[in-house]
Amino acid sequence: NELDMGPKALLGDDQVGGADNVDGFVTAAYSSLGNDHYDHPFSLWPFGNVRSDDAYKGGSGPADIQDFHFIETFSNVTPNFGELDALWYNYYIAISRANEALNQLALLSEEEYPEKKVREGEMRFLRGYQYFQLKIMFKYIPYIDETVPDSEYENISNVALSNDELWEKIAADFQFAIDNLPVSKTDIGRADKFAAQAMLAKTRLYQAYEQDDDNNVTNINTGKLEEVVSLANEVLNNSPYDLEADFAYNFLPGDYENGKESIFAVQYSTDDGTMHGRLNFGDVLAVPMGLGCCDFHKPSQNLVNAYRTSADGLPEFDTYNQSNLDFAANNVDPRIDHTIATPGHMWKYDQNLLYEESWNRSPDVYGVHASLKENVSPDCPCFVNIDPFYGNSKNRILVRYADVMLWKAEALIELGRQAEALELINRIRERAQASTELLKFANGSYMGNYLVGIYVDGVNCNWTQDFARKALRWERRLEFAMEGSRYFDLVRWGIAKETMDKYFMKEKERISYYEGSSVTKGRDEYLPIPQKQINFSKGLYQQNVGY
Amino acid sequence: VPLHALAQTINVSGKVTMVNSDEGIPGVSVVEKGSVNGTVTDINGQYTFEVSATGTIQFSFVGFKTQEIPVNGLSSVNVVMEEDFQQLDQVVVTGYQSQRKADLTGAVSVIDVDEIVSTPSANPIKSLQGHVPGMFVTSDGSPSGSGTTIRIRGIGTLNNNDPLYVIDGVPTKAGMHELNPNDIESIQVLKDASSASIYGSRAANGVIIVTTKKGKKGKIQVNLNAYSNISWYDNKIDVMNAEQYGSALWRSLVNTGTDPNSNNLSYQFDWNGDLANPSLNKILVPKFLDANQTMKASDTDWFDEVSQTSVSQSYDLSVSNGTDKGSYLFSLGYLDNQGIIKTTEFTRVSARMNSNYELADGKVVIGENFSFNQTNEVNIPGGVMDGAVRAVPLIPVHTVDGIGWGGPVGGMNDRQNPVRILQNNKQNDYDYIRLFGNFFVDVEPVKNLKFRSSLGIDYGIYDALNSQLSYSSGYLKNETNMVTNNHSSNKKIVWSNTLSYEYEVDNHRFDIMAGSEFYKQKDESFWASAQDFAVEDEDYMYLDAATGKKDNGGSAAEYALMSYFGKMNYVYNDKYLASATLRYDGSSRFGNNNQYGLFPAFSVGWRINQEDFIKDNLKSVSNLKLRFGWGKTGNQEIDNNATYSLYQTNYGGGDPTWRSPNGTAYDMYGQGTGTLPSGYSVVQTGNDDLKWETTIQTNLGIDFGLFDQKLFGGVDYFFKSTKDILILPGYIGAIGEGGSRWVNGASMENEGLEVLVGYRGSLKEEFKFEIAANFATYSNKITKLPLAVVNDYGGNGSDDNILNRPINSMYGYVADGLFRTQEELDASAEQPGKGLGRIRFADLDNNGVVDDADRTWIGNPHPDFTYGLNISAEFKGFDLTMFFQGIAGIDVINDMKRQGDFWSVDDAGSNKGTRLLNAWTPENSNSSIPALTNTDANWEGRFSTYYVENGGYMKLRTAQLGYSFPKSVIDRLKLSKLRLYVSGQNLWTIKSKKFTGLDPENPSFGYPNPVMITTGVNVAF
Repeated sequence: NELDMGPKALLGDDQVGGADNVDGFVTAAYSSLGNDHYDHPFSLWPFGNVRSDDAYKGGSGPADIQDFHFIETFSNVTPNFGELDALWYNYYIAISRANEALNQLALLSEEEYPEKKVREGEMRFLRGYQYFQLKIMFKYIPYIDETVPDSEYENISNVALSNDELWEKIAADFQFAIDNLPVSKTDIGRADKFAAQAMLAKTRLYQAYEQDDDNNVTNINTGKLEEVVSLANEVLNNSPYDLEADFAYNFLPGDYENGKESIFAVQYSTDDGTMHGRLNFGDVLAVPMGLGCCDFHKPSQNLVNAYRTSADGLPEFDTYNQSNLDFAANNVDPRIDHTIATPGHMWKYDQNLLYEESWNRSPDVYGVHASLKENVSPDCPCFVNIDPFYGNSKNRILVRYADVMLWKAEALIELGRQAEALELINRIRERAQASTELLKFANGSYMGNYLVGIYVDGVNCNWTQDFARKALRWERRLEFAMEGSRYFDLVRWGIAKETMDKYFMKEKERISYYEGSSVTKGRDEYLPIPQKQINFSKGLYQQNVGY
Repeated sequence: VPLHALAQTINVSGKVTMVNSDEGIPGVSVVEKGSVNGTVTDINGQYTFEVSATGTIQFSFVGFKTQEIPVNGLSSVNVVMEEDFQQLDQVVVTGYQSQRKADLTGAVSVIDVDEIVSTPSANPIKSLQGHVPGMFVTSDGSPSGSGTTIRIRGIGTLNNNDPLYVIDGVPTKAGMHELNPNDIESIQVLKDASSASIYGSRAANGVIIVTTKKGKKGKIQVNLNAYSNISWYDNKIDVMNAEQYGSALWRSLVNTGTDPNSNNLSYQFDWNGDLANPSLNKILVPKFLDANQTMKASDTDWFDEVSQTSVSQSYDLSVSNGTDKGSYLFSLGYLDNQGIIKTTEFTRVSARMNSNYELADGKVVIGENFSFNQTNEVNIPGGVMDGAVRAVPLIPVHTVDGIGWGGPVGGMNDRQNPVRILQNNKQNDYDYIRLFGNFFVDVEPVKNLKFRSSLGIDYGIYDALNSQLSYSSGYLKNETNMVTNNHSSNKKIVWSNTLSYEYEVDNHRFDIMAGSEFYKQKDESFWASAQDFAVEDEDYMYLDAATGKKDNGGSAAEYALMSYFGKMNYVYNDKYLASATLRYDGSSRFGNNNQYGLFPAFSVGWRINQEDFIKDNLKSVSNLKLRFGWGKTGNQEIDNNATYSLYQTNYGGGDPTWRSPNGTAYDMYGQGTGTLPSGYSVVQTGNDDLKWETTIQTNLGIDFGLFDQKLFGGVDYFFKSTKDILILPGYIGAIGEGGSRWVNGASMENEGLEVLVGYRGSLKEEFKFEIAANFATYSNKITKLPLAVVNDYGGNGSDDNILNRPINSMYGYVADGLFRTQEELDASAEQPGKGLGRIRFADLDNNGVVDDADRTWIGNPHPDFTYGLNISAEFKGFDLTMFFQGIAGIDVINDMKRQGDFWSVDDAGSNKGTRLLNAWTPENSNSSIPALTNTDANWEGRFSTYYVENGGYMKLRTAQLGYSFPKSVIDRLKLSKLRLYVSGQNLWTIKSKKFTGLDPENPSFGYPNPVMITTGVNVAF
């Protein structure tokens, strides 16, 4: 038949199956961990950091990616933001790849493909992870697994499952992963049992803070907290993972990547046969102008001030923000110089490269600090010009050992077992204390007066549940600042409005566009369901409360 | 007795001339009526042949009235030919055959090719703009004219709306700018389905039939045409200079309550420091923008820097001849069009050889029409027009050394210096070689039974060597240089066979035709790139010289069509006309379930002027014809692979600069580099049930002519409905990857009216004139959409959608003026960010809040009507042509307003248009331009009526004055024609007062339309 012509450079559905090809579907599902972009980044920097008290949007001005400006200022946030739709869609692409792989795996027996169970565990881990991210962004999401036929996708509402049922679905994926993944992985990029335990702990922790329909935290479920503790114990006690000796090692490229604190990370690469390398495209905008482009993701003055420490090395919980941190006069937690670039200080530990005020694009609007964790030294071969942007292939850690420690500590405190949490928090602080080796100028002097004290009950603090809770939350902020979690923490704790309104009250003296900003309770805890998706669902999806 | 003795033959000779001239007409057919005996006139219009002494000689020539003279034993017969304005005997090509114009029953527009050639353009189709009612041409000013789009009778489908071109029987969808306009003999536009459906599956958007010139019997003809023109950019966007930019910056910052001296755009202000009552004394800029003192603060006019007055030229030579044994035509053309944007240029070398040979006493004719075209173009690279608006005037083009590039610093936008983009791109031309034509054999074994076999080829080879140079331009820099080679080829062949038979008995005339056609297209491409060249020299930068990363890729695509068709025409008594066609098309693009589609059509005509009651009573009526047609056409413009479920390996995932990659490779082993494991992703979901998209069109037309065709015209009404429109609908995000699936879904209707009226007249013999006007209107409406995509084309997502509205209707907010007083502000609905001098958006649902629910339908991008007016006159060797073209009642989106009216709707670190200098302030409270602000807190960037403007215009497209030298002069020069002319294009524009931009034809950032002055010469000998 002269009209028979096959597709070129593509495969038909009869050509892809079988044990030989199934690894390809698994690999593609992992690959989607890095298939994001700066206006819908999987690191969630605009939604976790810029939307919180940790960071300003940055860039050339408020109009530069204006939707993020609106998200930052809680004004004019509409379901029509293309960035939200793109993020939603890209997460579902990742989910669909996991589902496709699960379907391909289901066609094989364990005889044909001995790794079947392990790979299924990996796929469910990845799917659980993507749903987790969607869940903290949008609260109510359509849940689709590999058993759903194509024709049914549009009949599944985002409110088909309750808030708690959604958490259970996510938890079930991680539980399956725990049951099937090995304790030691053959390939460094894959998920193992401990990663799944950590993510299940995180899921149970979020789930424990029960919310009503208006996003108010109404109860903290102790049963879930107990689970957090036991899951965290598995990771903390039985795994080969541990804290890095120096905080810095988590944010350095090359040999530092996949260190002992990195339980699960996105594996980026360069010089790998792709156009520019498989770079961290989500975070490319964070490079300051002196090194590249475009100076987004700027630490807030409030965050800078939060690193100030008292004479005994503890946070200045109540007075930290009354005046701006003065490096010459104040004691600071050394994590500030791992997290935040300050004019005159070293850029990424390079004694020959001092961060300059002139590297800032709009200092009048966004101040003079820059974010360090996602950045690399310009000398790194992993630093790639993707004109006009600059990406890098340094891995991004998704689950860090320190996180598991503080989840456990948080659960213990909420369970009233704050005494047990003290040691965990102090270990984090001790590591911070010890993380000053790379913070010396060429002349041997430290960049700041580093002073971190540990909490000693009855000596420098009164370790009550309330105090422990305050200390834990402070510790999380300092430890994970600019890593994409802050606003989600605030929502989990039910203190987004009070924290942000207090922040705006003072920060608007420094940042004029915060004038009038305020969080609306019962709306701003979550982002709106993208209007396009509601339209595609023909009104089946329900918009989040308040929008 | 020898037979010949019975037939008394005598030798007759004579000369054929035109009215009022003793100039001979070469190539006139001189035939003894009722026989095959005949000849043609020679170069001087003279003939001689043997003819029966009692016979009648018939003199015929296209464009002239046929004359019959009885021989009556005369040995010398001289004839004066009269021009035939009726042109009803004119033969037009209408699809695998030709017909007398008088017998046409469909809506067919026959183009006056002379009018087209008088508008110099690289793309002959662009020159049709405004000439054909119902054919809507939009174009930009790019030197190749390749950005021209044609829409015949509205928008018929949601996918490709381009018409089908059939050049000498070879179908093609694109690349008309590769054709030499001077080679064109005729253009016919088949607008309705009854005439187009013979082309079946590709005819739904109309068919444009082009035939190229052939040699004419008579004598060797040599034609030489040359012109040269200059063009310039007349309607440059008015952007701010350095001083104006500073004052607008100051204003926006004080309006926002920010210290204006805290900006990072290199400006400092001497002002009173009172935010409540600000006043500006002086604007200060540093001598240098950068610490290294390489960039002097300047006052660059970026539009001047990117544009140029360009010079273009065209030369065309053709030689043709025809004898009893065949004819040939050879032509050679050269065109060099410089663009009005620096470095852009289009050149074309075209050669054509059309020939045919008559064998076996003319019973067999073999021949070919073949062209070789080489085009070369430097396109406008991305970011130039937009960059010329945005680049801050303080930035110098070059650094102080005159070599390095100026570029943005500090808070300025991250866009490139547009001059650098142009200059670093100037070597990046592409070459396209196109071999196009057909080889045919015509056999007439029995009188009136004709067999034709034609093999058409369309073979294109594209080559581009693209070098990307390293640069440093302000804070933008890239040290990597790179070369990319692109090569692609597309091979199309079409083999058609037709058998036709004509039969005439008494007053009945029949012709019947049947045929088959096979079409196949294969496209292949590959590219290779390499980085790191030690020297950035054009002669050095080839892949072999690279030392860095190398990459490559390639793919192919293929499809085929198999078709069977038939046609029957019937004419009774030259009064009643009928025609029917049927086509059966199969396409490889459809699944097995619906591979073939059937496309029938019929039409009837009534030549009322042939009726006695007209002939007897209304002698002034020279033509009156009613036409009715109905037909079905198809569309298969979908992806070649549309029916398949597909998977791909997408190792790299595409260019990640402006969108997320969708790669399938992953560094599973944590090595950070090296070859990665890669997998598969789903591309799309197949659909075995895909079937042809079909359009049914009904046409009712009337043609008229009065006073011996001095007044002439026609009116056509059409109704066109398309169903099963092939769409690739967007899909719910939860599906993730692979949700793309081609389906038959939507339906659409177009209804319209086309009118053409003309008058030819003369005052005395020396002054002749012609006025022809055309007018067309259509309305479009979507009548059905699958539920899955009903919200894809605007609307609120629930109950308000595009159904029963024109496609591409605009949906948005209503901008209801500015807030001018506190009372207005207090009385208005809740609207985050509102304030004095800010846009008030209408609270359409009156619920006290301006939100998504307050959007409505705010624009229709379909014109109310389009029109053209052509005026030509001749007087004693002078000829004058003026052509006006316009559209009315069209809504366009004036994107420039985002830059021209606001400080922060687009990014604030960019230059803007001067309109915003008149922005609202308490002192300038009557302005309709919102107050300047450093943050778009009122969200004025939302799509609203503020950006929708009336894009109607009328343009004087062409005005041409020519002078043909009198015979006395050209005889001395041994020429048969010498004409000089000067013409202008786009000389004058009238636009709506409501349009705030410069060129409503080009409201965004397309290639600007130039003003052009041409001088040229036409020579024949």
